Amino acid sequence: MNPLPKEIEEEIQSFSPEVEAEIDRHIAKYPVKRSAILPIMFIVQRERGYLDAAGIAYIARRLDLTITDVWEVATFYTMINLKPVGKYHIQVCRTLSCQLLGAEKIVEHISKRLGIKPGETTPDGRFTLSWVECLGSCGTAPAMQIGFDYYENLTPERVDEILDSLKE
Amino acid sequence: MAELVKVTINGEVYEVEKGRLLIDVCREKGHAVPSFCYYADLALQASCRMCLVRIEKMPKLQTSCTVTVTDGMVVTTESEEIEKARRGMLEFLLANHPLDCPVCDRGGECELQELTFDWGNLEERFIEPKNYQPERYLSPMVANDPQRCILCKRCTRVCDEWMGEEAIEAGGRGVATIISAYGDWLNCSQCGNCIEVCPTGTLLDATYRHQARPWELVRTVSTCTFCSDGCQLALGARGEEVLRTVARDRYVNGINGEFLCVKGRFASHPFVNHEARLRTPMIRYRKGGKLVPATWDQAIEFVAQRLSAIKEEHGPQAIGIVGSPRLTNEANYTLLRFARDVIGTEHYTATDAFSLVPFFENMGAPLATHRDIRYAQTILLIGGEPEELQPLTGKQIRQAVRNGGARFILINSVPIRLKKNAAQFVHVRPGTEEAALLALADADSVEFAARKMGVETSEIEQVRRALSEAQGTVVIAFGELSPAAQKIVAQLPYIYADDRRRFLFHPLPLFNNSVGVHDMGLMSGAMTATEMLDAAGKGVRALYVAGSFLQQHLKGREEALSKLDLLVVQELFETATTEYADVVLPAASFAEVDGTFTNNAGQVQRVRQAIPPVHLSKPDWLIVASVAEAMGARFGIELSASAIFRDIAANVPAYQGLRYPLLKDESRPVQVKHEIAQRRDISGEIETLRATIAQADETAAKITETPPVGHELFKLGTLTEKLPQFHYLAAGNPKPENTLASSPLVQLTIDAALRRQRQEMALAGD
Repeated sequence: MNPLPKEIEEEIQSFSPEVEAEIDRHIAKYPVKRSAILPIMFIVQRERGYLDAAGIAYIARRLDLTITDVWEVATFYTMINLKPVGKYHIQVCRTLSCQLLGAEKIVEHISKRLGIKPGETTPDGRFTLSWVECLGSCGTAPAMQIGFDYYENLTPERVDEILDSLKE
Repeated sequence: MAELVKVTINGEVYEVEKGRLLIDVCREKGHAVPSFCYYADLALQASCRMCLVRIEKMPKLQTSCTVTVTDGMVVTTESEEIEKARRGMLEFLLANHPLDCPVCDRGGECELQELTFDWGNLEERFIEPKNYQPERYLSPMVANDPQRCILCKRCTRVCDEWMGEEAIEAGGRGVATIISAYGDWLNCSQCGNCIEVCPTGTLLDATYRHQARPWELVRTVSTCTFCSDGCQLALGARGEEVLRTVARDRYVNGINGEFLCVKGRFASHPFVNHEARLRTPMIRYRKGGKLVPATWDQAIEFVAQRLSAIKEEHGPQAIGIVGSPRLTNEANYTLLRFARDVIGTEHYTATDAFSLVPFFENMGAPLATHRDIRYAQTILLIGGEPEELQPLTGKQIRQAVRNGGARFILINSVPIRLKKNAAQFVHVRPGTEEAALLALADADSVEFAARKMGVETSEIEQVRRALSEAQGTVVIAFGELSPAAQKIVAQLPYIYADDRRRFLFHPLPLFNNSVGVHDMGLMSGAMTATEMLDAAGKGVRALYVAGSFLQQHLKGREEALSKLDLLVVQELFETATTEYADVVLPAASFAEVDGTFTNNAGQVQRVRQAIPPVHLSKPDWLIVASVAEAMGARFGIELSASAIFRDIAANVPAYQGLRYPLLKDESRPVQVKHEIAQRRDISGEIETLRATIAQADETAAKITETPPVGHELFKLGTLTEKLPQFHYLAAGNPKPENTLASSPLVQLTIDAALRRQRQEMALAGD
């Protein structure tokens, strides 16, 4: 493999021993090293907030892959963020059931309240708003996910409550 | 023989081998099946869905590229249903494809274009705007128009499976999928195989962009002039200018398929019509003077007179004849005849990096073809770095492991990239690869050798066991070795002889005709190239050099050349050797001559004239024959390369009975019959090797760094430096600020100091 660009090389660093051990555990689970790519991507995203160049290079090095190989996987999955996201990542479902029960209205409300369109982040870096595909919560539509937490049966008022309850 | 099964295709019954792919069987039996993503010997993809066929008892249409034939299978490849499906698929493939064939370099030889003629509709029903994406460059060699892509992923698969580089991949998903690389810039060996296999105009040769249309080019099948693998390629010439090199299988079907490396694909032709080519014969009438243009008659007369005078005064041994592993067999053989029959000197040699004479004299098994390597069960590689120096061999080893399940054992002091594919990597101290051979040949030396190499004895025992338990074909490949080690490796098949395995050899010399120049007998002269330089001005008064001395020979000995009474050089370009020449004769390049090269598999392959010799140049053999004639000797070769080859066939035992017509078909190359040596006593060589290895430093540090891609491939040589893009690669292939529209070359001026430094580094290691 060719050497990485210098600025990336300098940025790659190891994580804390606990995280490194967690990554090792995932690698050990699979007969082929590269199979661990998705769990490790999630860990790197969790630790660094998003998957940046240095994160991709770290994974490539850790799994003996080329940087392009990791890039291919990273760009395929929508839950891997290649750009920074806010502290709270609001993901509103736009698939059929939620759509029928007013997902549009929910997003409109959030947009108005936070001043951002879907795909954007607030200037203070607190919130990112995204459309996502089916969250598998059709029985309690409309639904959204903030980080890894589910919020169901949404109404604009309920959204306000939820957003108010989030910590600074 | 494999089990046969009965398959019915379009009502006709065929008996074919069980387990073959249906698409291959259909095509072989004359039932055309269109496809894009299917590519023989690559992982199956089944994404283009053009090869749909109806198989009875199976629901829905099936992709014939993923179905293997079974007994009693009834297949239909032509019906209204199938036609409808294929037309539908093609319409989808064209949904985003711009119909800009008139400005596309691929137009005229494009698979998508052809299949659209067969299966496309007259009108497009899509009225939605196309998914526009701008043209761009992925490297100085690869131009990319993402919009034309049909996502067959041939490029990503060849990159992965042939090259093992995984440099080009499909990013994104769904309709936004795009073939690209991390950072949109390819940092790879720039082999360009992705360009070759692309069935559309998505990936294009950036060095040939907008220069010609395919139908303007006259294609000539020839043999590559760089490494010893001897890939077959097609030179495309318009008028008297060679414009491009391809290996596309519609034009050429050689040992390499569509594979070529960065040198073969991009650097094979730019030097041919380069402005720096020597234009006329030149004579330096007095030492220290200038080279003055002369006519051929003057130059030949001058050389003949001076050579005769020197022969008269100092005897024939005062004249040295130097051939080159870059020249054709015909040229080297004529030189040998010139040396022996006309001059009568023992002092002849060729400028090869190392001699393979000890190996060929003791060779206990035949040479392996590249196909043998691909289907070998065990491959042992001692030293060498095929992925940089013999890329086709590297690819065959990789595929043997990946697609054939071969066991690959690598013994090397450098963790080369092929290490990734090795079942066992014996990482030895620098310069101790030969100790491994000692340990393989002599059981008593295992411990001693292991200590010197800095490896466990168990590692060596494991290799010994692998060799003595191997079944099927065992290929032993090796790089540069000392004469003693060459004899030992050549005799290994006798040491590990067994009915269950067949040994084959694959030496890895550096030049396109290294094996040929050995076969012609030029390497068996009384002096080596360096010895000849050392004797210059003393025993040797005159040198007749075809080609030039290698940097490794000439370095520190430049003075020697100026001590000669006469130095005659046949060359394409001015080189370090021509600086001292008294007479420089312009030679014709491989694209301008007929002849043969013999590759490292012992296959003798044709070199064909694509264009007439440029300027006043002449084929090397013709120049030598003219000088001989001026000295009163006639070779009786009637001024044709084929006549010389007949002479070779009559006098070189391995080439007996060969004629040009037998070499006509590049898809069935002829392997020359090198003599298989009897079992020899190698105890002397074992002692020699033992003594050499005893001096190895047991504390030397191992090399742990894998060399970067291109550290050998991108070196600038006399030929490769004629392509501007190669300078870009040699300078580290930096990503330009703007990859869109204009070539990286026009955006960035490479720092002159950096280029000089790189060049010096390259030459120092050459």
